[in-house]
Amino acid sequence: MPELPELNPVIHGKLRLALLSLLSGVEEAEFTWLRAKTGSTDGNLGAQLLKLEEAGYVAVEKKFVQRKPQTLYRMTESGRKALTEYVQALKQLLGAAIGA
Amino acid sequence: MTANTEEHELKDRLKLIESMIAEGRRTTESWGWTFVLWGVAYYVAIAWAALDPHHYLAWPVTMIVAGALTGILASRRAARHPETTIGRAMMAIWVAMGISTFILMLSLGISGRLELHTAVAIVGTMLGAANATSSIILKWKMQFACAVVWWAAVIAGLFSNDTQTSVVFLAAIFFCQIVFGIYGMIRDSRKRRASGTGQEASHA
Repeated sequence: MPELPELNPVIHGKLRLALLSLLSGVEEAEFTWLRAKTGSTDGNLGAQLLKLEEAGYVAVEKKFVQRKPQTLYRMTESGRKALTEYVQALKQLLGAAIGA
Repeated sequence: MTANTEEHELKDRLKLIESMIAEGRRTTESWGWTFVLWGVAYYVAIAWAALDPHHYLAWPVTMIVAGALTGILASRRAARHPETTIGRAMMAIWVAMGISTFILMLSLGISGRLELHTAVAIVGTMLGAANATSSIILKWKMQFACAVVWWAAVIAGLFSNDTQTSVVFLAAIFFCQIVFGIYGMIRDSRKRRASGTGQEASHA
């Protein structure tokens, strides 16, 4: 029987998973848009984004647009690879759970 | 995380991924207002050209104002929404089409080689091409129908007299810009209402 895969703990957190999934569909997104889509608080969102940034899954860019500060998040290549691997592992585990 | 993971939790994670990806893609679909804005701009330019003795300024001025207005409104919208590949592709099609048409019409106008049938043929072909390209990318059949209407208007206009060509052009603007734009806006707002604010995932 083949060994079941491990789920990446950095991605497995519900909010971090939601953030990576959101960022996978867009080129870059602002902090406020991510907050609105996830319904998270500023503090929690910032902390989870920092974890993703430290893991190298998202890149951050800070700039000013019309004199207002803007923080933009973009998914990195390793973030995309990690999410793909996570989905594959999830499907494998689900297959095993259904087959059991 | 091993084989003893609850099945429903795994399914929950999979659903969350699907809903969030769909939520991100949904942000590219609100462009109905630009069709209405440009439809109104065409009508303003036509009315101005017909009523004003300095009619040679009607089209360039109206088109520049409409372009500036679109730019301002689109940049305000962009500040609230993330940039997507499809969104940039849409923008590229319409900006390239707009600039090409503007340069061509302006050059034809200044060189004295512009007349009604040629103008309708150029605008109709350009709008038909842009609508068709956009509809293929977005898989939106209704927009492809608009492209067909523009192409039909070009053919009909070229085989008609001045008055008939003008009527065909006005009708094409009404259906492909005003009616289609309003339909797009209603469709977007229905989609937004149906989806609510999306699935919340505020816990780490």
